[in-house]
Amino acid sequence: MTWWAVVRFLHVLAAALWVGGQLTVSLVVLPLARRQLDDRLRAQMLTAVGRRFGVITAAVFLPVQLATGVAIALHKGVTWDSLAEPGYGRILAAKLLLFCAVMVAAALHGWASGAGRRALARALAISSLIGSIGVILLATALPVT
Amino acid sequence: MTRQEIPVGVRLRPGPARPRASWHLRANAIVVGWLGLTLATALAGDALPAPRWLLVHVFLLGAVSTAILIWSEHFAVALLRARAPARHGSLARLALLNAATAAILYGVAAGPWQPAVAGAAVVVAVVLWHAYVLVTLLRRALPGRFGHVIGWYVSAAVALAAGGALGGLLAAQPGGGVTHERLQAAHAEANVLGWVGLTVLGTLFTLWPTVLRTRMPDGTRRASRIGLWLAAPGLAAAVGALAAGWRWAAAAGLVLYAAGALTALAPLVPAVRARRPHTGAAWTLGAGVVWFEVALAANLVVVATRPAGQVAAALEPLLPLVLAGFVAQVLLGSLLHLLPAVLGGGPVRFKENAALLERGWKARLAALNLGVPLLALPVPEPLRLLGWTLVLAAVAAFVLLAVLALVRSRTGADADGTRAGRASAWPAVAGVAAGCLLTAGAVVVSMTGTGGPPVTVTATGARTVEVTLSGMKVRPAVIEAPAGTVLTLRVTNADAQRHDLRLATGERTPLLGAGERATLTLAPLAAPVDGWCTVAGHRAAGMTMRIVPSDARSEARSEARSDVQADARSDAGAATGHGGHATAGGLDLAAPMSPGWSPYDAALDPAPGGTEHAVEIRVDDTVVWEVAPGVRQRVWTFDGTVPGPVLRGKVGDVFTVTFVNGGTTGHGIDFHAGANAPDGVMRTIEPGERLTYRFRAGFAGAWLYHCSTMPMSQHIANGMFGAVIIDPPGLPTVDREYLLVQSELHLGEPGGDAQVAKIREGRPDGWMFNGTAAGYDHAPLTARAGERVRIWVVAAGPSSGTALHVVGAPFDTVYKEGAYQVRTDDPGGAQVLDLAPAQGGFAELVFPEPGTYPVVDHTMRHAEAGAHGLFRVGAR
Repeated sequence: MTWWAVVRFLHVLAAALWVGGQLTVSLVVLPLARRQLDDRLRAQMLTAVGRRFGVITAAVFLPVQLATGVAIALHKGVTWDSLAEPGYGRILAAKLLLFCAVMVAAALHGWASGAGRRALARALAISSLIGSIGVILLATALPVT
Repeated sequence: MTRQEIPVGVRLRPGPARPRASWHLRANAIVVGWLGLTLATALAGDALPAPRWLLVHVFLLGAVSTAILIWSEHFAVALLRARAPARHGSLARLALLNAATAAILYGVAAGPWQPAVAGAAVVVAVVLWHAYVLVTLLRRALPGRFGHVIGWYVSAAVALAAGGALGGLLAAQPGGGVTHERLQAAHAEANVLGWVGLTVLGTLFTLWPTVLRTRMPDGTRRASRIGLWLAAPGLAAAVGALAAGWRWAAAAGLVLYAAGALTALAPLVPAVRARRPHTGAAWTLGAGVVWFEVALAANLVVVATRPAGQVAAALEPLLPLVLAGFVAQVLLGSLLHLLPAVLGGGPVRFKENAALLERGWKARLAALNLGVPLLALPVPEPLRLLGWTLVLAAVAAFVLLAVLALVRSRTGADADGTRAGRASAWPAVAGVAAGCLLTAGAVVVSMTGTGGPPVTVTATGARTVEVTLSGMKVRPAVIEAPAGTVLTLRVTNADAQRHDLRLATGERTPLLGAGERATLTLAPLAAPVDGWCTVAGHRAAGMTMRIVPSDARSEARSEARSDVQADARSDAGAATGHGGHATAGGLDLAAPMSPGWSPYDAALDPAPGGTEHAVEIRVDDTVVWEVAPGVRQRVWTFDGTVPGPVLRGKVGDVFTVTFVNGGTTGHGIDFHAGANAPDGVMRTIEPGERLTYRFRAGFAGAWLYHCSTMPMSQHIANGMFGAVIIDPPGLPTVDREYLLVQSELHLGEPGGDAQVAKIREGRPDGWMFNGTAAGYDHAPLTARAGERVRIWVVAAGPSSGTALHVVGAPFDTVYKEGAYQVRTDDPGGAQVLDLAPAQGGFAELVFPEPGTYPVVDHTMRHAEAGAHGLFRVGAR
């Protein structure tokens, strides 16, 4: 057990919280809200849930994930050049690109729900969820070195 | 609707949402899901392991069996007006069947066979449970007009129990060969004609009139009873007789079955007359029944005209006809009719769903029924492709419409059937699609370049390798060739059961029947290539091979590559390391010799008269030679054989040898029997050159000759050696004379790094008498009891000698290196003729009685690795 294990732990934990949070909202909260709350209450509640999740994302998740991720990469000796190399580098690059796309989708989702474009907001939320599951897939595909 | 209402219809009329509807809905989603998987399997084609088997079983075991399990229980409940059996029981059967199906698909197609056998056992248990539930329903129900249908369902379940057990046996691969083919035929008949056929026949009594919206014809019950009494015993007889190999009993059983089926179908005809089919469901069902009859007739012809062992192979072309024409159409027709009712949601929704599902049914029906004959008949490839396109497009259209209907009813239920609910599904679909696309794009980016830059290799040579498929093995299991070689594999199926060979690079043979051959030509060899038999379960059973480029030095550059090589070696060991007593690391000496092989003739002719002998010896270093049973590889030869031609004469004879290098590299020749300065006659000559080598045989003995070009270890190890026999003065004549030249076997491409390393380190893969390891085990030498036999022996090496011994017959005469060690009249005898590399001599013996006497190099590891042969000694 080294300090690097703690850094990895934080990285994985934050990812689990973020993806798990999205899944919980989509699979547990939303269907129940749709079934049990009337339209006005539901809209209020969903806005509140979205805002809180957005705050957690921006204030906790992103800083932790970026800091630990960069630290792990430096520790592993990843350089900009090595990102282009087939294997570890290219999988990591694909994962980072997908992560950026997910963050863009999540941000657009926040804007769309604020602007009252519910259909677009829903589509963006789901693509962000699927994309973040893809990030996990790529993370597990990284060769152990 | 007429007076005589049919309960199925009543229960399925659209009405207020019932709790039953939802569980049927979910259950049918499984069927639609399996149909989608079937499509995917058909489209994936050769990318999958065991593609034919998977297509058949994803469809029949996945989609069709699930549908039968759901609907036969549902119909039984409805027809008997019985209380539905416990829900959790039905769900458990469904779950078990699907889990077992997954286990079977995995076990047979990819994994070890144990999960497949366990899955088959579970399937058998599930259908027997299903049959028990049906019988219980019938017992508890009041006597009614529809009880007779249950008999069909129960018989069908029992048929699957038998067919599933046979399937489990097949997955375990017990006997192989003809037994396997017979069991496969029995398995197919039991499952298709029994489980599917009997269920369909039983269901049609009630479903057909319902679909036509007419009344059930009179006499149905009688027809049903007689039909079942004919069909069920007929099928049992046919399946049993096919498994046992009794052709005529099987044909008689099928005739009975066909008679039963026709009897059962007879009442359907008046129904059609009463009301012309006018819906897609009716036409599709009707077409399915017609194909069923066609398949039955063709099946009968096949069984009657062929021995049971060839039935499975001959039924293969019928498969598309049965699968697409009969089973798929009956399934689609039934679902067309039943799904709208199952989906529920009120009369308006029922009409909407029915209209949605029947959309374009005429075109779909036409496409499917045009496609089926194209698949079944021997038509050119483009037409076959058209057939597949037509059939798959028809099925895909249905799956798409069914999924649409299912989604519509689900979202409708969520949003209380309002249109808003339906509209709200699209953002979710769009979101899922966008997310999947993003992920797929990222995965593609991450995968690029992992295989290293694509290696393009220019062709440097060509080589033909004989490959034999038999006994769950591909021989040779490893082919080594220099990178750039254009390999041609001449594949022979030497087994009684069907096999094929498919390479990871895409080349494949068709499915080969017993004794059939095919030729594969590969692209210039760049990287290791795996090959395997795609028949279900055969890859797992060890029918694999590997083609490895032999320039090991360049491969050692990267660790990954050397891992691959290590794999190849261990694979070879795994593929051939078991199966019989006569195995030696990488060699299977008990394997059959390749077809057409004939042994090097060990019988030695007496010396020709005269004192001058003129001989021409020509180098041929591109010969492919059977060095061990089923293992053919390139060797370097004098005159095309290993060993080269035998020269025989008397002391003082003069031999004039015209030595021609017809090979591809420099070679020379060195006769130990002569006395010459090596500088001239033993020099290396280039391809196309010749020299004259004249020597006087000054001394008696068994002499070696060999290639004199460095490195001699390689030239000798690859086959460039032979014997010169100079009779000692006064050599008595004997009844038989044999010559055995013993040498080492080094597998691999001659001159390849891997082979050279083995030669240099003295690690032969085996030892050979006259160029073939264990060759005289497969083609024994002959003699008669009481005859005097002289065995001449030369040890060619290059690095090991011999301790020649005949089990059961001591030598009474031994002559070694120019001197008698034991004479015939001496009281002493000898057990071994021992020779260092390049020494020679002979031993004589008299076989005491008839029997089989092994002749071995008593250096036991040599004997066990091929320096082993047999004398078959008959009575005098």
